[in-house]
Amino acid sequence: MSENNIKIQRNLWENPWGYVESFFIGIGLIITGLFLEVFSTSGSAFTLSYPFNLYFLIGYVVLLFVMYKWFTTTQLIRWLTKVPASISSIVLVTVLVMVMGIIPQVPSESKIITNLGLNHITSNWAFLLILFQFLTCLGLISIKRILQFKWSNFGFILNHTGLFLALIAGILGTGDLQRLSLDVYEGKPSWVATNINNQKIELPFAIYLKDFLIDEYNPKLALVDNKTGSIAHNDGKNLYLVEKGETYYFKNFEVTINDFLPNSGRIGARYEPVNELGSPPSASISVKNIENDSIQTAWISSGSFRYPYESLKISEDYSVVMTIPEVKKFSSDIDILTKEGERISTVLEVNKPFKHKGWKIYQLSYDDKMGKWSNLSVLELVKDPWLPLIYIGIFMMIAGAVYMFWMGNKITKNQ
Amino acid sequence: MTWIDFPLYSSIIVILWIIGLVFLLISYKKQAALKIANLLFVSGWAVMILFVVKLWLELDRPPMRTLGETRLWYATFLPLIGFVTYIRWKYKWFLAYSIAMAIMFLTINYLNPETYSKTLMPALQSPWFIPHVLVYLFSYAVLAASSIVAIKGLYDSYKGNFKIETLKLADNLVYIGFAFLTLGLLFGALWAKEAWGHYWTWDPKEVWAFLTWMGYLIYIHYRYFHTQNSKRALTILALAFVVLLVCWFGVNYLPVANTSVHTYTQY
Repeated sequence: MSENNIKIQRNLWENPWGYVESFFIGIGLIITGLFLEVFSTSGSAFTLSYPFNLYFLIGYVVLLFVMYKWFTTTQLIRWLTKVPASISSIVLVTVLVMVMGIIPQVPSESKIITNLGLNHITSNWAFLLILFQFLTCLGLISIKRILQFKWSNFGFILNHTGLFLALIAGILGTGDLQRLSLDVYEGKPSWVATNINNQKIELPFAIYLKDFLIDEYNPKLALVDNKTGSIAHNDGKNLYLVEKGETYYFKNFEVTINDFLPNSGRIGARYEPVNELGSPPSASISVKNIENDSIQTAWISSGSFRYPYESLKISEDYSVVMTIPEVKKFSSDIDILTKEGERISTVLEVNKPFKHKGWKIYQLSYDDKMGKWSNLSVLELVKDPWLPLIYIGIFMMIAGAVYMFWMGNKITKNQ
Repeated sequence: MTWIDFPLYSSIIVILWIIGLVFLLISYKKQAALKIANLLFVSGWAVMILFVVKLWLELDRPPMRTLGETRLWYATFLPLIGFVTYIRWKYKWFLAYSIAMAIMFLTINYLNPETYSKTLMPALQSPWFIPHVLVYLFSYAVLAASSIVAIKGLYDSYKGNFKIETLKLADNLVYIGFAFLTLGLLFGALWAKEAWGHYWTWDPKEVWAFLTWMGYLIYIHYRYFHTQNSKRALTILALAFVVLLVCWFGVNYLPVANTSVHTYTQY
């Protein structure tokens, strides 16, 4: 396509359709979708579930194939396999996703946003229609290149077909995706989970929580402004970890940590190691004022849900406080009890889910008010039967990206 | 406590590189000066690597969590990209640009001192963490370079001495950067499946990462079919980088920010 040809006068909708017609059709689809949003009565999102989504996928791919094979001479199909259609649909999908990136996707007070459905773009008719055109272009050119296979097209096929598979499986899979949350308490079996709409769902197995464990980092030391109560050091970022023997400098104060107890209780004037529910960490610190060489020594503690915190006032303006320890790791030691009487033991941890009969079980959360003394562990159970197809798509794209990196260089070398 | 040593290390690096830039400038007149320039760049880079390694060892976690730490990686990768591109394409101005950008990032870090937070939340403790972030930062650095090429191209065509080689350099950088961008996006999806139970949740950062990806996708498709219209291609490339910048730190200022899991600047 040379640039000189563009200067030749060409009427709208004359063969072949170019950018003007492509954007005309694309924007037309979006406007149609927005009209559907305003006037359609059903408020719920459009989803297909098994087996209809599978029928849809098979029907769609067969249709694309038939269209390419026998109707390739028609204006519409020719247009869909050409660049203007691809670029216009990429641009318009980008525009709608950009709307999603700017307007928060939560219930909105604005009438315009609510009526046009701009706060639920992923299930907005305008988005679905333009995405459908995007997928149709992608599907058709994938079929085209697969049927005219050449090794030089290998990367092209991997990238395009991979994206097609990952997208279509992801979209159609939402109808079959189940995400449940399950509360389990130490020493009790649980089998009734709740879904996103707060409905109770009975699981085909029970989960028995043997032990819930939290590992914590040491608490941190912070300098607090007495008047505002906010952290007056390093903009509240990157505070120092409390470690026995360390010395830190805050403004003109030298703070030395004489002792640190991870679990302690106040006994008289000092803290002693104790091990009971809600026993907070504490430290003995010495604060030296560099200006006048005065030294103060005291115990401070971050407190817990049972005990108050203790800070040390070091001047008119400032106090030294100990922050609530941050969580390093949390895990649930569980048994899965099946209906057949099996007992499977495993430990769940963040980033380490467990697979059981098509379900993936995740460590999600716990009672954060109780912190490390929580005996509640919140698990998430996810079933996504379309995942293998999505993964095939993703791995094709990974291979395609590696190919692209490699060949991108090769082309240069030859030139 | 190597962030405390940062002013020392960064001053050594910056001094070496600035002297190197001076020699690079001289080399336009006297070819021999180029060797000295390269020697200075490489030794500065060696000090840089030494600092990164020491920092990593000291922190006991990958130094990739805070914005300051990502700037450090940016400063590490840019000279590398500058060198590789220089070896292949012999563009001195490009080498100078990448070194100057690296100096800028080191300066920003010097002006915003970070101390040594060692804590890392459980969701980040994953084997995917390092590849996801490294691949992304490398890709951002390459794409940033490509956008500078775009700006130079636009400037050249404004002056009327545009060469098509400039666009070819941009193409190469975009291909490499885009391949890595795709990998970063997909690694993120695979990790999210392991950590949060779903590979894609339209988190604001994900939305903008997707938009960045789409932006470069438009450029690649446009270039593939319109090899002659250089000016529009350059404009698309410059715009794509604006989207990338929004994704990198602009997201934090958008109305959607508070729903993101990627707010790594808060600690």
